[in-house]
Amino acid sequence: MKLKIWIGLLGLGILLGLITVYKVYSAGFVLYAKTDVLVWTLPLATYIFFSLTSAGLAFVSSIPTVFGVKRFEIMKKRTMFLEFAVLIGSFVCLIMHLGSPLNLFYYLFSPNPASPLWWLGMLYGVYLVVLVIAFKALIEGKSIYTFNILIFLIAIATSTTLGWLLGMTDARPSLDVSFLSMYFPFTAFVSGLSALLLVSIAGNYFKGQKVTKEVNDLYGEISKTLGIVAGLVLILFFWRTVAGGNSSTGQGFLAFKYMVGSISYNLELWGLVIPAVLMLTPGIRVTNWGKVTAASLILVGMLAGRLEFILSSEVMPLGQMAEVHPGFVGYMPTSSEFLVTIFGLSVVLMVYTLGDCYLKLDEVSE
Amino acid sequence: MPRYAMVIDLQKCTGCSSCSISCKTENNVPEGIFWSHKITETSGTFPNVRFHYIPTLCNHCENAPCVRGCPTKAMHKLDNGITMHNPKKCIGCRYCMFNCPYGVIQFNWQDAHGSWKDNTSLIKGGTASPADEVRKVNSKATPYYNPEREDTLTGIRRRGVVEKCTFCDHRVKRGKLPSCVNSCPCDARIFGDLDDPKSQVNKLLGKFKPFRLKESLGTSPKVFYIRDFSSAGYPSTKGGI
Repeated sequence: MKLKIWIGLLGLGILLGLITVYKVYSAGFVLYAKTDVLVWTLPLATYIFFSLTSAGLAFVSSIPTVFGVKRFEIMKKRTMFLEFAVLIGSFVCLIMHLGSPLNLFYYLFSPNPASPLWWLGMLYGVYLVVLVIAFKALIEGKSIYTFNILIFLIAIATSTTLGWLLGMTDARPSLDVSFLSMYFPFTAFVSGLSALLLVSIAGNYFKGQKVTKEVNDLYGEISKTLGIVAGLVLILFFWRTVAGGNSSTGQGFLAFKYMVGSISYNLELWGLVIPAVLMLTPGIRVTNWGKVTAASLILVGMLAGRLEFILSSEVMPLGQMAEVHPGFVGYMPTSSEFLVTIFGLSVVLMVYTLGDCYLKLDEVSE
Repeated sequence: MPRYAMVIDLQKCTGCSSCSISCKTENNVPEGIFWSHKITETSGTFPNVRFHYIPTLCNHCENAPCVRGCPTKAMHKLDNGITMHNPKKCIGCRYCMFNCPYGVIQFNWQDAHGSWKDNTSLIKGGTASPADEVRKVNSKATPYYNPEREDTLTGIRRRGVVEKCTFCDHRVKRGKLPSCVNSCPCDARIFGDLDDPKSQVNKLLGKFKPFRLKESLGTSPKVFYIRDFSSAGYPSTKGGI
């Protein structure tokens, strides 16, 4: 009964998303908080959030193969399937961001290797194919050692290329490529760990499943890692604020200075501080509520953080755009933009739930 | 192959905006989008204030960040240095807008010239509706539609793609000057070939110290500004404490 209600809710989310697709592609992008200044908004931020979470899950799923930590083998299948589900969700949000998604085939017929966006698109395409093949092989009980190594490398490539993509814009110096190419893989890892922890514990709870000691110990290990990595990310976040939001006198950092203290900035900040404290406190770390709270806060914080990152380079109009806009352009997502995020999330959870029902994700391959 | 550039003489420019108007009609530019625009600034403190006006358009940068970033080469360089856009290849990612330091690329958030599709008459039975006006002249989208634009670019760019100034490449191809240059009543815009030492553009660049927008970024814009208008003089002074 619980499952039927859950599927129904996700179906509703997808239905609302499909209505939004129809509305956006019939009425135009006027349904978004459109301006020629804020060219990238919540749909793209959600895409970045999902794609980096997927890369983070790839790091987690590679732990047994790449780092030789065999304890993680028991969650490999679940992690890889969640990775796939999240990747599908990211594509949904990307399509809702693109003005002309039907022209995507020009990626192949008119490639521009000088563009980080081209590399990113190609890497994600290869990533999806490799992931599907690897998962199929895993289900069939075949060795996926090589695929695991490949997935790990692609995850590094995607998360760092995303840093190059944003960092290439010389006119927006608050997006620094050397920083982002470090920050994105770390935040990807923290998002991946949180997503895995959250869906696994929530799944056990709703299915009334008893957790074995082995799995419980692994949850503890993941939680501790989560606390440590969240702390590391917090240090990077702190220095980013000090360098760009406080010390710099450059005009290009004014947009970031404007964003420091905003809702999305605070969500990201506290979405790192609280989980780090919770997961580094042994008494709280062992509790399920502690783990779920920390993972949820990190995921909300990371989503807000992706939006904050984009806005921190955009809110101040460049060039002639300053003529028809105020000094700083405020942003509040429209209902259609929120529905794109809900659409993406519903797709992720629906794919994952169906996989959990039919693919025996707890099984360990020989 | 020529390498086209434009010089804008700020002393001659009166800020009449005829460049923007002629650009819109020449290129069928929709409402809310400007291929040719301006930056206005005021300086000083009242009553000692001054108004600055800088006409803007795509700078057709030699190192164009929009071209470098476009994943499908929809934004590309022509041999003559013009930065051109092919809407047929555009996926609408808006990365070019994100990359452009000058804010001169704009996105078609909705169908162009939507107001001309309206069938409502201001006075029923008395005046024609916008859609009637378009039908009357058997035109596409607007009564003032310019079919010549179709020579090198889609006449009207569809929803979901970007658009920007092309230095009127379709006119240049026919040996004509860009529309904004042609229509400027003050001859404040001068167009020509940078590779021709005798071109008017080169003569002016050799005579006056030019500046370009955001030169420090290394984009190497092909729109140069010379001189500045000021009719004011002032008595010689060393200031005071």
